[in-house]
Amino acid sequence: MDNQGLAHMGLLDLALAYGLVLLAIGLARLERIGQETQMLWASLRMVFQLLAVGYLLHFVFAVKSPLPVLAILIVMGAFSLQVMGGRIKRKMPRFYQVMGSSLFIGCGGVTFLFCSLVVHYSPWYDPRYLIPLAGMIIGNSMNGASLAAERLGAEMRERREEIETALCLGASARQASKTALRNAFRAALMPTTNTMAAMGIVSLPGMMTGQILSGTEPMVAVRYQVAIMCAITGAVAITAYLILLQGYRHYFSKAHQLNPIDN
Amino acid sequence: MPLFEIANAAVVRFESVTFLGRNQEGSDVQLLDGITFSAPGGEITAIIGPSGGGKSTLIRLVNRLAEPAAGAVFLGDSDIRDIDPLQLRRQVALVPQKPFMFEGSVLDNLQMPFLYRHQTPPTSDSAEVRQVMSLARLEPDMPQRNARSLSLGQQQRVAIARALIAKPQVLLLDEPTSALDRRTSDALAATLREICHSQNLTMIMVTHDLRLTEKIADHCLYLESGRIVEQGRASDLLAYPMSEELKRFLAEPSEQEDGNG
Repeated sequence: MDNQGLAHMGLLDLALAYGLVLLAIGLARLERIGQETQMLWASLRMVFQLLAVGYLLHFVFAVKSPLPVLAILIVMGAFSLQVMGGRIKRKMPRFYQVMGSSLFIGCGGVTFLFCSLVVHYSPWYDPRYLIPLAGMIIGNSMNGASLAAERLGAEMRERREEIETALCLGASARQASKTALRNAFRAALMPTTNTMAAMGIVSLPGMMTGQILSGTEPMVAVRYQVAIMCAITGAVAITAYLILLQGYRHYFSKAHQLNPIDN
Repeated sequence: MPLFEIANAAVVRFESVTFLGRNQEGSDVQLLDGITFSAPGGEITAIIGPSGGGKSTLIRLVNRLAEPAAGAVFLGDSDIRDIDPLQLRRQVALVPQKPFMFEGSVLDNLQMPFLYRHQTPPTSDSAEVRQVMSLARLEPDMPQRNARSLSLGQQQRVAIARALIAKPQVLLLDEPTSALDRRTSDALAATLREICHSQNLTMIMVTHDLRLTEKIADHCLYLESGRIVEQGRASDLLAYPMSEELKRFLAEPSEQEDGNG
């Protein structure tokens, strides 16, 4: 791999860096906070997991046909679905169907448009670009998606009275859930909005920092960062919107009746 | 689809209606069993009985907030399943036990039914608003007030006005006096009686309140454990109960106290 711009880091240097973890563990031991074992275990996990992913990427980047790359993207998406399923305790009706299709259209669509129209590289499936870009888009959309789903569920439970009152006055299911949908959408967009606003002042984004460290011209790195943030925002908004648009329906029957709470 | 172009007030009829609900353990329980009755047009039918007997569930079937497991509910000659549910709820209004006020003024609340229909909402000095305000005995300065800052009695009246503004044929009331003191509850009873007669409305009200039933109901059903135990003219039913269940219910002081909150 080419790393002309990057200062050389040898195994000895890495060991020195790991010494800082040992120092942290030593401090923890001194203060008897009782987390030394966990810290040691976590640091070892970090090393092994990253090594594994490094080897994996080494092979993946060598791939020269689109199908394996797409398969990897599908696995990433499925994994993020599983993470969301574990994180959200009270799932909306047909959770996986709603979340899966929204994530697929929202993230898949934005990733495709972004890679083909904004970042020009070829071939279109080049894993060096496609996998990290899709990873950033899916990872961020996952947060927005789980916020949307979680908030929609909470709103639908808390607002039963309001929703039924509206239905009694002749509102459709969509009209009756308007406030719930609006609040859930707002919650889903909040983190991305905050991140954008704080970017560059509160935090230097990881991708940009990484590019600069590996020798990319800062202004080029900035352009990439702006572009990826735009893609993330679009993907979060589309994914959350699709989740809400499909999700609220499953709380109602076809006759605009609010279904009884299941759990 | 034909709408209800009838001069006579609409009759609500239940035919062998069964309703299944879910208990806390998650298994199905029969909350209503073989309910058959007819609520005559332009009159007040009271549904009385102990809590948990299925009273509130019963009226939720009339505007299709819930669906029976078996049997059918008729409005006039039509099975309500043949009417578009949004259309049905304009003809059959329900005022829930705990009135929910939307954020904003009383006028905002009164305008909601029009907004749902994509119609221009009436202003505070329009005939519609003034009529329902006077029917529900709300003070003239009420439209501008914040709906959520009103007393429960006032909110109950706003909820009734909001239900009436769409000019329904049937008004369903769930425990209309449960949150009110005796004086407010008597005043509301008189209001309801008058609305029913002046608007030729069919009213079905669920209540614990035997005083209210005695005062304004024409007909009465006694519901216990999901079955109609007795039904008939309200005055007869309350004066000469036939069944042991109703005799016991009428003799039970706590049930009557409950109604007056």
